[in-house]
Amino acid sequence: MRTLFLTCFLVLAAAGLATWLTEPDMSSDVPVLYWATDPNPARIQQVAEFHEWLVEQGHTTADGKPIVELRLETVAADYKGVIQGVSGVSADIIQCSVPWYQSIGLLADVTDEAKEQGFGIDQTYPALEPLLSVDGRQYGFPCNVNVMALWINLDTFDKLGMAPPPPSWDWDTFERIGKEFVHKANPAGERQSVFFVNKFEHPYMIRAMYRSLGVSEFNETMTRSGLDHEGYARTLARIYKWTYVDHIAASAAEESAFSTESGYSGAGLTLFHQGHYGMYNIGRWILIRLREFKAPPRVAVSHYPYAEFPNAVIGTRVAAVYAATRYPREAKLFLAYLASKKYNMGIVRSADALPPSPEYTQIESYTRPAAFPHEWGSHEIPAEGAETIAIATSVSPFVPMATVDRYTKKALDEVMADLATPEAAAAEAARRIDAEIQLTLKESARLRARYDEALEVQERIDSYRKQGRKVPMAWIQNPFHRRYYLEKGWAESE
Amino acid sequence: MNKRSKRDLAIGLGFLAPNILGFLVFTLGPLLFSMFLAFTNWDLRLHNMFKEEPLRIVMLENFSRMLDDPDFWQYLGNTLFLMMSIPFSIAGSLGAAILLSQDTGGGSNWVKKRLVATAGLVFGLSCLLMAGADSSAMTILIGGLAGLILVGGTLGGTTVYRTLFFLPHFTSGVATYILWKKLYNPSTGPVTNALRPLLDGVGSLVNGLPPGMVQGGAWLCALVMFLLFFLGTRSLAASWRDGEMGGFAVLIGLGFMALPPVAAISWFVLPAALWLIAGGSLAALLVLAAQVLRGREYPCRSDEGLGNGIMLGAVLMIAQFGFLGLGNVLFGLPTMAAAGLQTPEWLTQYDWAKPSLMFMGLWAAIGSNNMLLYLAGLSNIPGELYEAAQIDGTTAFQKFWHVTWPQLAPVTFFIVVMSTIGGLQGGFEMARVMTTGGPAGSTTTLSYYVYNEGFTTGRLGYAAGVAWAMFALVFSVTVFNWKFGSRQVND
Repeated sequence: MRTLFLTCFLVLAAAGLATWLTEPDMSSDVPVLYWATDPNPARIQQVAEFHEWLVEQGHTTADGKPIVELRLETVAADYKGVIQGVSGVSADIIQCSVPWYQSIGLLADVTDEAKEQGFGIDQTYPALEPLLSVDGRQYGFPCNVNVMALWINLDTFDKLGMAPPPPSWDWDTFERIGKEFVHKANPAGERQSVFFVNKFEHPYMIRAMYRSLGVSEFNETMTRSGLDHEGYARTLARIYKWTYVDHIAASAAEESAFSTESGYSGAGLTLFHQGHYGMYNIGRWILIRLREFKAPPRVAVSHYPYAEFPNAVIGTRVAAVYAATRYPREAKLFLAYLASKKYNMGIVRSADALPPSPEYTQIESYTRPAAFPHEWGSHEIPAEGAETIAIATSVSPFVPMATVDRYTKKALDEVMADLATPEAAAAEAARRIDAEIQLTLKESARLRARYDEALEVQERIDSYRKQGRKVPMAWIQNPFHRRYYLEKGWAESE
Repeated sequence: MNKRSKRDLAIGLGFLAPNILGFLVFTLGPLLFSMFLAFTNWDLRLHNMFKEEPLRIVMLENFSRMLDDPDFWQYLGNTLFLMMSIPFSIAGSLGAAILLSQDTGGGSNWVKKRLVATAGLVFGLSCLLMAGADSSAMTILIGGLAGLILVGGTLGGTTVYRTLFFLPHFTSGVATYILWKKLYNPSTGPVTNALRPLLDGVGSLVNGLPPGMVQGGAWLCALVMFLLFFLGTRSLAASWRDGEMGGFAVLIGLGFMALPPVAAISWFVLPAALWLIAGGSLAALLVLAAQVLRGREYPCRSDEGLGNGIMLGAVLMIAQFGFLGLGNVLFGLPTMAAAGLQTPEWLTQYDWAKPSLMFMGLWAAIGSNNMLLYLAGLSNIPGELYEAAQIDGTTAFQKFWHVTWPQLAPVTFFIVVMSTIGGLQGGFEMARVMTTGGPAGSTTTLSYYVYNEGFTTGRLGYAAGVAWAMFALVFSVTVFNWKFGSRQVND
């Protein structure tokens, strides 16, 4: 026994020594920046190009090497970044939600550097402003921009002898085409294996639907939930109908009946490629996976169906600088790189959503990539959507967005499980969000003061609306309401 | 203390020092800090190195908020529901241990039995294959698995069986959960495929019978519920009369038994049958009251026989609930069968998500450390007791009930305590991987709630409060178990 123990100990000691001796040398002569981002293989190329860009721009050491070394740190979950940040051990460049992280105090203000180095908000889509800045100060710059939409497998529609859906359509048209599609695609008497669209679960699509009825998660000043509205209940009811009555969208059980998740973006794209979904709710990055298939399908894009007000939701993967980084100057150089031609062309080539700068969506490399003719005609829709109808998510400073998402998901789950009527689920979601707001205000005198000011403004807005007067745009904080009021002619333009 | 003793003490402390230090720094320290957190309003958004908001001591505010929080009660209910599988898993572990303690290797009899069984399996599979079942993956899967077990047992004896039983326990948690997600696939999963022919058969049978006959089963279940309550009350009355059970023990047992009839008021589909249950329960209570009024010859303290009272009450409660559920199913069965009986959607269906996780937990728990503890306990039972029982001409069940079960009381007590603690604290991993707490929060447990509140929302103070409320619950249950359970063991 003693011999066995000693042998095991010696083997482990030898293995430890071998590991230590063969470990790659991680030391560096220049400052090392860590970029916390998602585990996308394209990041490796982006890091290499950042080093090249530094050299091209003259940010080099005496011997011509880049003045900083960028390394990747994959962070799968938002909360990990928060915990690291408040503990003082965060990466220097963080992929994050700016309103959430800024509210915690984790981000460095980059407004002045943005103006000097050319990565200001004027260099990207105006609709992104609420996601990049807080109270007029900028905290990040987009790594890429996303307008989710319905990507269409044209080959599937061709097989059924159906014309592809239009780029813009209302709920009734969506339903009519969807019913026709599933009827043609699924033989009678057999288990349904082809759906018009994948499961309704992504918050962007649901958000776009209730926004099309003039509903937002919050009121104009973000002081109260706006979901106790007939429009939200109608949206939930419609989703239920499309899933369980018309069967044009896959339910949770039907989607899990296909396969478990595997690979980047999951098995859903494989099902889309195989024709089990006529359309897939996703962003332009679908092309990264589709290009890997031997015979990728021809694709087109349609925006989400709307009830009355066409809209889309714009999102972004934001890179921001950690407030306690040891190398703020170097970290902000990375944001400048994101606005550069080199980086933007990389996004254009890799099809990793939309490039941060809109001008790069007008070039031929973007609209008609030579190597992928089956994609021609699809790239324009998300780009056009980002500049016209897309609106950022409304984020209130008085309640975390993760909490709002949790209650809206619960509302949807309850309706889908027949546990609550759409009206009751909507009312409960609004009530819970309002309760969370009050809880936050109880803990922070600073936020309470801000809330009271906003409440006064809200009362004035409500009064103006009752009187039929136009509301000054400066009073409205909610990005959805800012756009909606303009559309309806209820606001004075700025 | 002399010099040598001091030296010995110093050497001992030196060896223990790393462990003690690690415990202080990584266990006790965070524990005390979390206790402090539970009485504050610590919120990551407001209290961190970048903010200057003052931290407030809020005393019991977090706990009073918890009492008003519907999420807390829902998730506590989920946790307690998932714990209902504990008695079954303990029984399963005991059964597995008894099976594995049989001498299956020695003697030609067991080998012969296994060879015959293997031959029978091969013959049966051959028939199925010739009849056209060759494309059924399920048939091949089950047949192959059964064959492997039989052949393995013939070659390797009990060691093979013990390994197979223990396998689920030492398989990595996340890998198991992903595997079970596949098993629970509502369309192509083996669980669904195994259940489908059974449901088709039941559906055909029910459709062939008059609906009234099937629905009459609901009345039968109501009658059984009444009988169980009546018999249980009579047993309690008799124990009270004979001084085997005190007043408090009787009340506790009665309390457990009364839950199903009370629940039936809102849950039972047959309102008319409620009269039967109510009438029967009243009659039973009158019997008990009459006995109490008559008095008793052998007084005892009020908590005497509490363990027996709890066990009797709990077993009858579970049985009554089972018949309550069965009655509801039987009443609705003709309607369901007319439309075709469907397998559940398992993890994606609100009503079935929790039971699905329970089945999976049961599968893992049967062959767990509990089985090993029972194996050790069984090996410690003196053989003379069984010899004496043999001489008295007892049956196998009597040997188990009068020899094995009482001798295993200390082991059972330990397993019950540890399983209760584990059950109250657990459920995070499987919910996070398999269902993310849904659908509609049906599989979110208290531990998952602590994670959500602490790390997703950032309310560390409140999350710590919930964690300490969980501790208080675990501690109370454990103290109760120790106080009354150990007395039962000693008795």
